Parts: sequence; structure tokens; C-alpha cells
Amino acid sequence: MQRQAQTASLGQRFTGAAAVVVLMLAAPAFAETPAEMVATYRSLADGVLALKQTEKDLVRSILAAAYAHAGVQKERAAKAIAAKDAAGTRSAIEALAAAIAEIATEGDNSVAAVRKTLIDGGHHHNAAGEAQGIYDPGYVIVTRAAKAKLLESSRAIAQTLSSPDAAVLDRELAKIRPVVQELLQPSK
Amino acid sequence: MANGIEWRRGIAPPLPAIVAALAAALLAVTGGAAAPVPGGRFHFVDVAREAGLTRPLLAGRPGKDHLLDSAGAGAAFLDYDRDGRLDLYLVNGWRLDGSRIVERGTNALYRGLPDGRFEDVTAGAGVGGEGHWGAGAFVADFDADGWPDILVTSFGPNVLYRNLGNGRFENVAATAGIEAPGWNTGAAFFDADGDGDLDLYIAAYITASLDDVLQAKRTLGWKGVDMVAFGPFGLKGAPDHFFRNEGGRFVDATAEAGLEDKALAFGFAVRTFDADDDGDVDLYVANDSDGNYLYRNEGRGRFREVGTWAGVALDEKGSAQAGMGLALGDLTNDGERDLFVTNFAEDFSTLYGGLGGGLFDDVSRASGIGPLTYKALSWGAAAVDLDHDTDLDLVVVNGHIYPQVDRHPDFGMTYAQARLLAENRGSGRGAIFADVTGEAGPGFAVRHSSRGLAAGDYDNDGDVDLLITNLDAPPTLLRNDSRTGSWLIVALEGDRGTPNPVGATVTITAGGKTQRRDIAAGDSFLSTHDPRPHFGLGDAGRVDELAVRWPDGTRTVVKNVKARQILTVKKGT
Repeated sequence: MQRQAQTASLGQRFTGAAAVVVLMLAAPAFAETPAEMVATYRSLADGVLALKQTEKDLVRSILAAAYAHAGVQKERAAKAIAAKDAAGTRSAIEALAAAIAEIATEGDNSVAAVRKTLIDGGHHHNAAGEAQGIYDPGYVIVTRAAKAKLLESSRAIAQTLSSPDAAVLDRELAKIRPVVQELLQPSK
Repeated sequence: MANGIEWRRGIAPPLPAIVAALAAALLAVTGGAAAPVPGGRFHFVDVAREAGLTRPLLAGRPGKDHLLDSAGAGAAFLDYDRDGRLDLYLVNGWRLDGSRIVERGTNALYRGLPDGRFEDVTAGAGVGGEGHWGAGAFVADFDADGWPDILVTSFGPNVLYRNLGNGRFENVAATAGIEAPGWNTGAAFFDADGDGDLDLYIAAYITASLDDVLQAKRTLGWKGVDMVAFGPFGLKGAPDHFFRNEGGRFVDATAEAGLEDKALAFGFAVRTFDADDDGDVDLYVANDSDGNYLYRNEGRGRFREVGTWAGVALDEKGSAQAGMGLALGDLTNDGERDLFVTNFAEDFSTLYGGLGGGLFDDVSRASGIGPLTYKALSWGAAAVDLDHDTDLDLVVVNGHIYPQVDRHPDFGMTYAQARLLAENRGSGRGAIFADVTGEAGPGFAVRHSSRGLAAGDYDNDGDVDLLITNLDAPPTLLRNDSRTGSWLIVALEGDRGTPNPVGATVTITAGGKTQRRDIAAGDSFLSTHDPRPHFGLGDAGRVDELAVRWPDGTRTVVKNVKARQILTVKKGT
């Protein structure tokens, strides 16, 4: 069957196509997708794309909030170190380490549960990135490379707990600043 | 082990050498003792059959159509009758044929006999598992009456067997308030709020009904060549539970304590220890395919999850792994306790090296244990000094979850897998761990799809033996017949006679080295080890100092302790 179709002459094809056109002209309107459905689908498509963008923006907001929190905690730690306030220093450094870890993981464990729900529902924001090994499953903004750098700094900051040093905290925040700025760039 | 040089000690008074020699010869005939080691230092022999451990452990369908078919169950060493000899508790599953339940397996309590064999006392003790599909076994004296009780987590309601002290148990899970029906897995008893009684954390895996299990089909494409059991991705995680002990009745205080399983992670193994050495007990949960949790105790029973920045949630690349089982101990020989978490095939099992202060760093690659565990799918684990050279070796039991792997030998994996014995070779240059499985005797040469692992000295000869659960097969009991150095086992007796109270810590100094052990109820994969702290002493004939930190913070110090004995230390003496 396939071979016969391939060997059909040009004339035969033209005759067949003309017959289809004639049939179409004579066919009733229900053969077309109703305009209302097309319009609804167009609205839905706009909504889907807008939701996807909203998801990106929301995740960026989570990252930005955590980063802002990290900045506050760094200042708090510096003051506590200067004041030789051991409890305050400890609390601030831990909060700083936790904030940077939350940037790395795109939020805390509660966000992880949401991410899992999305994956379970078949939503992969970065399916292509996941397939290439650039993103972890379900991650929206934070790449694996960025995640590794952020986690490294988070651990390095936590490890200053035994001998707090404001300069080390500054240095670690300076390291992650370009990483976070890159992540927070508005998407196209 | 009994290598012909060291004599059985412990609770029995030392025998004159000639009587001991005759006793050893008799034990060798009856299977209770070992022949001298022919070759290398390590030598393990499977004595399960001759010891009477022949009951198969059921695990769903042969094709493993649902993850429950593959998860397996755990085991525990305990001394339920307080006769000084270890007894065994083995958890059982069900056998299925398609969607039909063929057999509901019975859990087994085996009483240790003086000749090294075991007597099945399940029926008389009333601890068969209530017909549930069992998961883990966790032993602690939760009601502080001096008798060890058994928690059996289940696919279904949990079972809490209260030890009546007369050889019988009663299931008090419903009245205690801890049934929590679901797919419950790892658990740990611990004093979360410092009020002197034992609270309880129970991890859960996925939300699934019995109908889900019975109707399951293999619908997940695996490596593009076969269909295997679906999950855990795509399935809903089940929340873990924390129960606060209020006078023997447990109250669900998960949210109040800050122990909400916010990620709804697929929870498997649980271990408690004082991670930051601040005097209260912290909680670690190994999760499958999710980041692991480290709940730091903030005091008065309030917890904060700090796993990611503390360095124990993810691997060195920042990825969540498929946490199955775990082991705790100073594996890197630096005086800090390390956490070892077993993972899926074609991934490192991860060694989180302790840095002090509750912080950790992934040292899997540098220590050598990562590459040694890469190919296997790993479950139960134990950090024990098997050769008594004063450092902790690692035992890991393995087995794939997909029997279908055997159809594809080109992948280099099998369903039944060998165990791993990784010898600790010290903290000098190069890797710490070396694979000595091939030199560890016939017990390590056998392959099974294994799951649970409990370590304990069942024959009271001073070295640590290994109890392993296998899918659809009887368990393995590896008697340690290795050439070993000197040793000490410590049996604690706490308030009201509670044996080996959970949360107690024993620290010894011998031969210039300090070692520490923590007593926990819940470890490895769904299992509980021998609660008595065990120490390898190398050539040392004495322990210079032994210090017990009891759960209430009080201390007992004993100096100049003779080696090669099971030393009983009572609180307040």
C-alpha cells in the first residue's frame, strides 16, 4: 500500500486534492473548530504561559526574600561578633547559613512538598534542563551549579560557628552575590 | 567469636582453663563455637540454619510489582528475658500471588540458648505481629518497668508489645495511641523533652492502601528495557509522627515539637544521638529520594530542622539521594561521630564526616567508602569494630529492588547482591576504607536481596555477630570467627533496673585511645542492634577509665577495668 501511494502520478494527486476541496466547500460549518473553543483555548494558553511566568516570579521572590534575610543576618552577626555576644552571634550565623541553604534549595522543606506535588502531577518547569542534568527535578530557577556554590557557602558559614569571624561571613556573601544576582535576573 | 585463644566471659564467672577448653570443644561440636580461622583476619560463617533460624521472611510477589514487595523488614537483638543472652526478633511480611494474599507471615521471637542455638518462642510470647505486614523492630523499655518492650512498625497499624516480664507480651499500641495506620518504617524511642521518659518518632514512607498494593502493576520503565514497580516519585509521601510519652500513653505532638515532615519525604531510617553535644538528643531521618532531616533539639522538646546547612541532607553535589539505612560512629577516626547513609544503586552511599558542633561534611569520596558502595543497592548498615583493632569497620547489606535486573546482565547488577565488609584502615594517608569482603569467609560470599541488619554478640564471646534479613528467604546469622584483639562489652542497668537505657553514652580510654558509644533504640534499616556498647581494645589488657553518662546527665566512672569481659555497670554505684 505504501509503495503504491508513492508511485501515484502527479495528475492523480491533483485530481484527489481538487475533490477534497470541493467536498470541503460543500461541507457544513461543524467541520471547523468552533470559534468559541478557539478563543477559550487562546485564553487558556495565555493563562498557562502566564502561570508559568508567575511560578518563576514567585520562586524568584522566595530566593530574593531569603537573600535579603541573609543580608540582615550577616549584619546582625557582625554586630554580635563585635559586641562579643556569643548567643546572638550563634543565632545570627545559623540563620545566615539557613537562609543561603534555602536559596540553594529554592525554599525550605515546605516548598519541597509543593515541588513534589507538581512533579507528581506531571509538571516539570525545566524538563529540558532536567534532561540535560542542569537542573534537579522540579527546580525552577536554581541550576545545579548555582546550588553547589550556595550550599558550599552555607556550610562554610556554619563552620565559622566555632570561631566566628565577620570577615569570613563577608567573603562568603561576596562569593554568592553574583550567583544570586544571576538567578534573580528577570526571565525572558 | 571463639578462636581457640579467647575464652567466653561476661556474665558467667571465669572458668579454669582446662574446663573452658573442654567447654569450647563441646561448643564446637554443637555448633556454638568456631573453628580456628584458616586465612585472613576476618572470618564469618552463616550459622542461621544450625541455630534454628529457618522461618522464611515473606516479601510480596516474586516480580515485586509494588514497592512494598521490595521494601523488606528488619530485625532486632534484645534480651527480653534478661538472662544475659541475646534473643532475636524478626519481622515478617506477606506473600502475594497477583492480587491475592497467599500468606500473612508471622514475626518471630527466638530465645537465645546457652549452646548458641535459638528456640522459637513466638506463640508462647504472643508476639507474632497481629497479622500485619511488618516493617521494623525497635526495642526499648518504654514503660520503665525494667523489661525491654518491642515496637513493630507495619504497613497497617503499628504494634507495641509490652513485655510483661513473664515471657509474655501484650499489644498495647491502641491504648498507647501509636497505631497510626499507614506505611510506617523506621522509628526511634528517645527522651525528646528531657523529662525522663521515652518519646517516640516513627517515619512513614508513602501513602498507599492495601488495594493499591494488591492491584499494583509494574508500570515504570526502567532504563528503557523493562517495566518495574512504580515509585516512589509520583506517589504521595506519608507524614512522619512524633509521639510524646505522657505517663505511658503517647500523644501525637508532631507539630508542637517542630517535627512536622514538611517535605512529606519518603522516610525510612531513624537514628537519635546528641549531634551537637549540647546534652539533649537530636534526631536524624534518612529519606528516600528527598533530602535527609536533622532535627536539632532546641531544648524542652522543641526541634528545628537544620539538615541542609548542617551538611547531612544532600550529597557532595547538592543532590538528594535515596536514603535507606544508616550507621553512626567515629568512622573517620578523628574523635567525632560520623553518619553513614546507604543509598540506591549506581550512587555512593554517603559518609557525612562529623566536624563537631553538629556540623558535617561529605567525605564519601575521600574516605573511600563512596566508590566501594557505588554499584550496590544498599540497606542495613552497622559501624562496628569487628576485629577489635580499636576502629570501626562498616558492614553494609545489599540487594536490588527490581528482580528484573537479572534479565539484563550487561548492566552489571544483580537482584541478589553480596554484602560489603569495609575495613577501617585508620586515618593515615589514602582512603580509610578497604573492601575485604572477599577475605571475610563464606558468610560474606553468599548473595541475597538483603534488607535489615542488626549487629550483636549473640554468643557472648566478645565479638560482634551479624543478623541479616533477606527477601523471600530465611535470615542470615553471621557468626564472627575472626582473629580479634582484646575487647570489652558494657551492660548498663539504669533506674528501676532498666537495661541499657536509651540515651546513655559510654566512653572508654584504653591503650591511649578514647572511644564512645551511644545507646539507641532504632538504627540501621528498620532494625535495632545489641544495645550493649562494644569496644575493640587492640592489645590493651585493661581499660584505664570507663565513664557512663546516664540519660539524666549523671555520670558513673569506673577505673582500671579488666578487658575481655561483659562488665555490668549499675546506675548509682
